[in-house]
Amino acid sequence: MNAQLEGIESLPGTYLFDLERSAKALRLNRFLHDFVNPEKRALFKENPEAAFEQAGLTKEERTMVRNLDWRALIRYGASFFTLEKLGRLSGVSNPAMVAHMRGETLEEFLKTRNVPGAR
Amino acid sequence: MARIIGGIGTSHVPTIGLAFDRKKHDDPDWTPLFKGYEPVARWLAEKKPDVLVFFYNDHATTFFFDHYPTFALGVSAQFPTADEGMGVRPVPPIKGHPGLARHMAHSLVNDEFDISVFQELPIDHGCNSPLTMLWPDAVQAGEWPGALVPIEVNVLQHPVPTPLRCYKLGQAVRRAVESYPEDLKVVVVGTGGLSHQMNGERAGFNNTEWDMKFLDLIERDPRALTAMRLVDYVRLGGTEGAEVIMWLAMRGALSGGVRKIHQSYYLPMTTAMAVALFEEPTVAPRAAPKVAPLVQPKAD
Repeated sequence: MNAQLEGIESLPGTYLFDLERSAKALRLNRFLHDFVNPEKRALFKENPEAAFEQAGLTKEERTMVRNLDWRALIRYGASFFTLEKLGRLSGVSNPAMVAHMRGETLEEFLKTRNVPGAR
Repeated sequence: MARIIGGIGTSHVPTIGLAFDRKKHDDPDWTPLFKGYEPVARWLAEKKPDVLVFFYNDHATTFFFDHYPTFALGVSAQFPTADEGMGVRPVPPIKGHPGLARHMAHSLVNDEFDISVFQELPIDHGCNSPLTMLWPDAVQAGEWPGALVPIEVNVLQHPVPTPLRCYKLGQAVRRAVESYPEDLKVVVVGTGGLSHQMNGERAGFNNTEWDMKFLDLIERDPRALTAMRLVDYVRLGGTEGAEVIMWLAMRGALSGGVRKIHQSYYLPMTTAMAVALFEEPTVAPRAAPKVAPLVQPKAD
């Protein structure tokens, strides 16, 4: 137990990225991180199944990525910052990803913001 | 001797850089952001620091979780702009300051901060997002008007360093800078925050009341901030908002007499964007002797 983080579990809807989550999702996060490489981006765009195969993703991981299921990916152990790369590659904005994680439509989420046009 | 003339705390959310690249200066949704940075850019243009020591975090771009450094110091002469997944942002590559940075590496390690070092690795929006606001003419000029000594801090993968440890790193950085013989004007920059959370059903969380308190305490009572635990930062400012511990590193590198001379806060969407400028008391020019010297110099 990390004394600095004692009580973190009482925060609802929060998935702190720690060594346990990192270990569980290392392969998935590596796959997502690899999008910093243009060749990896091109492969994923042209043939996602081949990209999954090359990265050795499990069936569950492939399904979440295929469906751009941000909420499930975060719960599973993806880091937001590797997911962000998949977001950019798939044309999904951060507000849209956040809305999905909250279980809202983008329109619903934007209504809760101070300046909905600042995107 | 190198000396620290001031500090800057700034958000580094990528949309700050995007707004700059898309020239949103006159877009009413973005004008408050640009206006907030103007006094800081003016101050930098006037003071012309030689080096910015930049506490920033990588966003799983250059570093990956197979080896994620807690603290890492960039010691090379240049750092390319990172491709974060959508090509390289059109900004000049960052110029380093190898002389100061190598000295800092020696000083920090001997001061019991066993810091990692890196050379010529790409740097992501953690630095370049606020940098175009601080030095807005650099893109057109094709180069930044000063050098950077980047210090990466792990705020992504827990365990991350404690708030107190970040403050102590700042204090050690001050000792390192002040023991460098070359006459350099240095500004320390702490990046990140303010409140935001980017994961889970709590994503989109903000807390302006806490942000304001943080902006007050960081000037007036940083010790109150170092006494807090990371879980307090997460609860008050969100999981990602807890990265404001990098502002504590900046504050640790400043003196007790530092004054906050500007701050701005804008929360349009998911991340509270703030900038604060701190100025060190100016060293008074050496006073003329009050008594006439006993031996008057002979007139020619």
